[in-house]
Amino acid sequence: MSVRPLNIPVILGTTRQGRMSAHVARVVTQELAKRPDVATELIDIATMPLPTNDAGEAIKDSTFSTRMDQADAIVIVAPEYNHGYSGLLKHVLDSCLKEYIHKAVGIVGVSSGPFGGTRVIQNLLPVMRELGLVTIFWDVNFSSVQNSFDSNGELTDASYIRRIDKFLKELIWMGKTLRYGRENVAA
Amino acid sequence: MPSREKMKCPHCGAEMNHHADKILRAESAATPLDSIFGGVVLELHSCPGCGASGARSALDL
Repeated sequence: MSVRPLNIPVILGTTRQGRMSAHVARVVTQELAKRPDVATELIDIATMPLPTNDAGEAIKDSTFSTRMDQADAIVIVAPEYNHGYSGLLKHVLDSCLKEYIHKAVGIVGVSSGPFGGTRVIQNLLPVMRELGLVTIFWDVNFSSVQNSFDSNGELTDASYIRRIDKFLKELIWMGKTLRYGRENVAA
Repeated sequence: MPSREKMKCPHCGAEMNHHADKILRAESAATPLDSIFGGVVLELHSCPGCGASGARSALDL
């Protein structure tokens, strides 16, 4: 197996002001960074140039494309808005395609209500499939997210660390396996 | 199916592994479309040496 570190960026999938998902994305990135042989970074879609006079690969951002190309797996932190995902998250994801093929993806759902973004995760699954990403069977569900962090954005519910650990273990396993497959198993 | 010459990694020169084919449905009108799949069939390649990726149209055959 390759000794290169597994590259797993975390995509913060909302641009809303005051977004609690930013705290979630930071915690997930911190937990990933603790793992040996994993390289990670937080990609905040609010900092990306997002033209809206076109869409798809026509608005591909070279920096984001390179990050996705170099990724072995991806974490998407997706807040649930009206039972769906952020339009700008879809806009960003649609700007790449070949960069995603045969790579693992894990989704962290975030909501202010009791269901922890389960509906946004379900809505994202067919999108992930068409993009060529391989979904894992672990999610993280941040329900009532406004109660999970203090005013400084520090996590107050330690149970999430164990949930994130299970999620990341599965994502890393799938990321390693798919990297081996991409590099060694012929189509 | 006739086999094609393997892609060479643009970074380290190693032979790349062809691991997937994917249909692109939103290519420009100038790109020839596959008549069966209704899109451009793209071959995806990955380098076992350095992990670099590559792609080429499957219609080059």
